[in-house]
Amino acid sequence: MFTRIVQLALLSCMLQAGFSAAAEQGQASEDPGESRWRLGAALGYGVRSNPLVQSDDIPIVLDLDIAWFGDHWFFDNGDLGVTFADNDRLTASLVARVNSDQVFFGKTDTRLVSFDLVGMPLSESVEFKVPDRDYAVELGLELLTDGPWGRLQASTFHDISNTHDGYEVYIDYSYGWREQRWYIEPSIGASYKSDSLNNYYWGVTEDEAGVVVEPYEASADINIHARLMMGYQLSRHWSLSLIAEYERINDEAAASPIVEDRNVLGYFAGFAYRFR
Amino acid sequence: MTRRLLILGLLLLPGLAVGDEEMLLSVKPVLCITDSRTPVCDMSFLVVWQSGVSGYYCLFSDFDDAPVRCWNEDREGRLDDARTVQSNFSYWMTGDDHGLRLAQVSVEVLRMDSDDRRRRRRTRHVWDIN
Repeated sequence: MFTRIVQLALLSCMLQAGFSAAAEQGQASEDPGESRWRLGAALGYGVRSNPLVQSDDIPIVLDLDIAWFGDHWFFDNGDLGVTFADNDRLTASLVARVNSDQVFFGKTDTRLVSFDLVGMPLSESVEFKVPDRDYAVELGLELLTDGPWGRLQASTFHDISNTHDGYEVYIDYSYGWREQRWYIEPSIGASYKSDSLNNYYWGVTEDEAGVVVEPYEASADINIHARLMMGYQLSRHWSLSLIAEYERINDEAAASPIVEDRNVLGYFAGFAYRFR
Repeated sequence: MTRRLLILGLLLLPGLAVGDEEMLLSVKPVLCITDSRTPVCDMSFLVVWQSGVSGYYCLFSDFDDAPVRCWNEDREGRLDDARTVQSNFSYWMTGDDHGLRLAQVSVEVLRMDSDDRRRRRRTRHVWDIN
């Protein structure tokens, strides 16, 4: 009940801020040097590993970047937000997004198996597929701050779609160096996933369990991630991007019978075009 | 042979402009990148020109009404021009008539970050590369 009240209060604030922002935007003078749109595309090759059993890695060939930033409202590649505080120290926004944990479950296979997921032989071969999971729509608070020391992003998101009914607290620190056309930016971070969230995606319910997989319940735990991005600006519009990414799935999720590898590794190399 | 190599070099260089009277002008680099930590470009621009006809030529830039340098009875020249720049500007060559630009090259200053922190937020976007 309390969660619902908080969600309604957040949505109410978001809508109110949005309406007043829309009124302000009609009068606000735009910075002529910076478009409100950020549009781009990257073409190259990359792979993100899939931690699930009987799954395929996720190939990345084309990556689109579609974002719009108003005085208060913004849309950033699927995230919809409204900024209610923006000053020299920080930028605070309410953001609605789709949880990304589901992405791994879209690349699983159905296979005929003769062993269960702990390696014990079955009396007869059966078909098995990792249980499906749904996307969750989440609403949360996001804080951005920066300085000579780097950039910090902190956020907390709660499910508002009755999918997992859990929440996540996320933090990411990055520091970038630029030397003319070269740019390098390492970042590290962590995300706390609540009982409900962790269990929805990585647990196995009694209904889903069978001869191949035992029931499993995951508790709250923390993922950590690190990323290294390198870029070379070829021209006004074109750049070359190289990215390596690592995410260590939390112990609770890693112990799930449907998880094969707790390390999610990814890389991408390609040419990016930015409309300016 | 040297002249051919120079012409080939000019053709391969970025920021090449071909104007009337076969004036070739090349500037390198033609892109300068700034951000909040480095708001200006402090760099040296290599300017190379070549004309099909010997004569009196002057190099101008947007920084000054006076020529950066002039050459007399020459058909080619080069110059390292150290500048601190914050916005786009141009180099151009003239002959006797300083009002007539024989060739021009623009240098672009590109600001790579934004005062809007939201443009640098990390999204769950797959690679978030831009």
